[in-house]
Amino acid sequence: MIALFRPVENARGAMLLAMAALFTAALWGAQDRPGAPAPPPAPTQPAEYVGSQACQLCHEDIFNAFQKNPHQLVETGNKHGWATRACESCHGPGSKHADSASAADIRQPAKLKPADADKICLTCHLNQPTHVGRINSGHARNQVSCTACHSIHANGPNGLVARKPADINKLCAGCHADVWASFQRPYKHRLPEGAMSCVDCHNPHGSFLPRSIQTVSANEPGCFKCHGDKAGPFTYEHPPVRLEGCTACHQPHGSANPRMLTRHEVRFVCLECHSNLPTPTPAPTLGTVPPAIHDLRSPRFQNCNLCHQKVHGSYVSRDFLK
Amino acid sequence: MRYLLALILIVPALAQQPEPPAKPDAQAAAAPAKTESPAPAKTESPAPSAAEDWLTGSVDFGYRWVTDAGNFQAYRSVVNLGQGPKLTGLDFTIQDPKKRLFDRLDARANGWGGDPYSTAHVDARKLGVYDFSFDYRNIAYFNALPSYSNPLAPAGFDEQAFDTRRRNTSFNLDLRPGKQIIPYLAFDRNSGYGHGIDTWVQDSNDEFAVPTLLRDSTNNYRGGVRMEWCNCVHITLEVGGTTFKDDDLASYGGTNYGDRTSSLLGQTLVLNSLQQAYGIRGSSIYTKALATARPFSWLNLYGQFLYSEPKVDVHYTDSATGNFALLSSLLFYSGQQNLGTGTANQPHTSGNAGFELRPFRRLRIIESWMTDRYHDAASPVAFPPATITGGLSTTPPVVTGLFFLDTPPNYSQAVNYNQQQTDVLFDLTSKLTLRGGYRYVWGDATVLAGQLSQSGPMASGQLSRNVGLAGLTFRPSQKFSVNLDYEGASSDRIYFRSSLNDYYKLRARARYQLAASLMLQANFQVLNNQNPAAAIQYNFGSRDNSLAVYWTPAGGKRITLMGEYDRSSLSSSIDYLGLFLSPAVSYYRENAHTASSTIDIALPGYAGLTPKLTAGGSLFISSGTRPSRYYQPLMRLSLPLRKRVSWNTEWKYYGYGEQFYLYEGFRAHVFMTGLRLTK
Repeated sequence: MIALFRPVENARGAMLLAMAALFTAALWGAQDRPGAPAPPPAPTQPAEYVGSQACQLCHEDIFNAFQKNPHQLVETGNKHGWATRACESCHGPGSKHADSASAADIRQPAKLKPADADKICLTCHLNQPTHVGRINSGHARNQVSCTACHSIHANGPNGLVARKPADINKLCAGCHADVWASFQRPYKHRLPEGAMSCVDCHNPHGSFLPRSIQTVSANEPGCFKCHGDKAGPFTYEHPPVRLEGCTACHQPHGSANPRMLTRHEVRFVCLECHSNLPTPTPAPTLGTVPPAIHDLRSPRFQNCNLCHQKVHGSYVSRDFLK
Repeated sequence: MRYLLALILIVPALAQQPEPPAKPDAQAAAAPAKTESPAPAKTESPAPSAAEDWLTGSVDFGYRWVTDAGNFQAYRSVVNLGQGPKLTGLDFTIQDPKKRLFDRLDARANGWGGDPYSTAHVDARKLGVYDFSFDYRNIAYFNALPSYSNPLAPAGFDEQAFDTRRRNTSFNLDLRPGKQIIPYLAFDRNSGYGHGIDTWVQDSNDEFAVPTLLRDSTNNYRGGVRMEWCNCVHITLEVGGTTFKDDDLASYGGTNYGDRTSSLLGQTLVLNSLQQAYGIRGSSIYTKALATARPFSWLNLYGQFLYSEPKVDVHYTDSATGNFALLSSLLFYSGQQNLGTGTANQPHTSGNAGFELRPFRRLRIIESWMTDRYHDAASPVAFPPATITGGLSTTPPVVTGLFFLDTPPNYSQAVNYNQQQTDVLFDLTSKLTLRGGYRYVWGDATVLAGQLSQSGPMASGQLSRNVGLAGLTFRPSQKFSVNLDYEGASSDRIYFRSSLNDYYKLRARARYQLAASLMLQANFQVLNNQNPAAAIQYNFGSRDNSLAVYWTPAGGKRITLMGEYDRSSLSSSIDYLGLFLSPAVSYYRENAHTASSTIDIALPGYAGLTPKLTAGGSLFISSGTRPSRYYQPLMRLSLPLRKRVSWNTEWKYYGYGEQFYLYEGFRAHVFMTGLRLTK
């Protein structure tokens, strides 16, 4: 087990293992296995579409709620070709179910595996700007289906998904309890107070930035939506801001350290990079060595940003003094 | 490795049988798109019935009292809730039965009346005509902690403190929503205004805390069109621009001895007056194109391209009088003036593309590429002239025309970032999905080197990282699911000493519906990063375990309980240069317990009304390098007075303490009572 966790000279090893598992699985899955359950016999007569009115007869509560649902457009519009058959656009043709009233005779997206359930939603919703990054999203990769967050039959001001910040946060925290715990720390973004929500910074549908970070205007990280004064471009850039992002120094969800820093005192945040002695490593790293005039015993020098106050980038000082 | 990957991708493909003919269901599903079904009579969205109110909503208002003890500045830095009358919540929906200006309008507002976070949001829509949204947030940023200043300096206690507000305003208008061509317009404004204490730095001999006025704003304008055809192609074209300005000011008049507590060559340094002004103006335009397509049922394509060219013009001036020193020439003088101009231009190109290929029912292959490049061409800020006048030394020097050019006349910071990733997902059974993948990240950067760099004015860095990915999703039943995610990487080149180098990440998440009313969820996460290079010796490890319980007996009619517990630990050690550049090791440890819970209890009712009691809160206790404790218990009682009126009372306590920074602790009781009216 320890060996498994040993950093990866090991990345390659783990990758090989994963690939080998996939390879084996793929071969196994491709064959007709004697023990595997037989596919359901092809119906002698395929089910047919019966229209939403037929669904209403038994599912009146859902039908009525659906009248105010954003998906009502499917029922009333003809853009997607499902007019008067909105129910069957997701549940499939319902004639057999209408005859037998058996749940086995109708497609139930909630019980499908996530990829199949998503496929139904994405029939209409794939080609939308919110989903441009979906393929890259962690949710898609980890089989979190659309219905995990969107209540398709729901109605009300929230439509299919939570809209108020507090409700959105509650929904996300339902799975990301560890992240929500970070927001109980003293220095954090104002999510527990309802002033912000998770989707202010993350796009749950996916983004081309890591961790589904939202982008603003010219594909800048979403942090700059609120912290526009840190966006630059600066005459003197502080390279980590661009190369590693805000999380190089800050814990965005919450921290026990003031200003959400990654370390308990400013100097340690800085000096961990700015101790860049010439190293025999294959390639040098960026970051300089501070001059020896900094007497780290004095509080005057312990908080580097007392003088280097424009640490996010400066317009006038190469040393970020102004 | 890539050849192996390709082989792995190809062999299963060859092993698969041809895709069976589409099932009747799929055929039928596809049919409506092809056949011209008889167009139904176009119906409008349903109007509210006569029995239905055109206006529904609620409003919460009341009065808040705050009693605090301890460090009030720390309380404001962490909590910042104030006393007085408050509009805590407003939420309403208007459905216009005649559908004149809109079909439906939803509005909400929170935290008005001087709260540190005031928000407002409006959504309005008219079916097929427009979708409009407006969002406004006014968030207070306050920070005044002695541990971030120099409390030993005569005027240094408030250094780096600020009391500002940031306001974000967004408008978004989509025209013809739901149609094939959707034009849209948007405007965002982000601005900050407030006061703070900055330092004015004089030639590394002394720095003086001075009050500042902080003012900046960014406006973003954008417009575009979304086009969608035949459910299989989507293109969005967007053009946007930003304007930016930063007009920070600092001014001071009096006697300020700065942070230096000793004299310099027998003289006391002092600042008597300062006028410092920034005049930063920036602008940018950008063009963005997005596209998604599904040319076949088994292939999804996407791509994005963006080009932007932000630039800023800098105008800076400061003028100071006092007694200052220029150590390099052992010069004392009584006044200085700096003028500076500069520009920065940053062409930025980014693009990404990818596809999802589903050659067989059980197999998905996801491929993505990304590239991001920017080139920051900066003309340095020169100071012609930095005028020094009126010395206080025995032979007062008067020096004019002294130029500081501390950087090459022009420099450019260029950054290239590239990423390629392949993921293969295979549904081993309907309940088990396996995932494996590979990511290669590479790039290079040329940046301005530090003043003390021995490698020249510019420094170069490179990035090269191989990442292996694996995971599985197991859902044996509707009640139980497990998700595992593993990422292990080996880096040949990294940018910074503390960057991710040789690391692995593992995350496990499980959910179990133990009973109809009881659900458990557990998370486990570990990150280990190592850089064994000499003079770095970086060892970083973090673990996070959490368990959450949701209990809703009888469908939550009487009791709803939510409880979460999280145990996290973090340890980090890295070699660094400490006191007078002597080698040392920076250790950071944090072991934290975090718990939060809420229980809602419906109390015995009266006259058909049900009061509700909520109790809970959160606690955070950490030990290690900066041990701290933060408690936030709360209790809330909601007493319905009538069908649409309830009386809400809430008590919340905030207690914060630090073992090493005792003076930054506080305790505060926040009590609020008010009414909630609903319609």
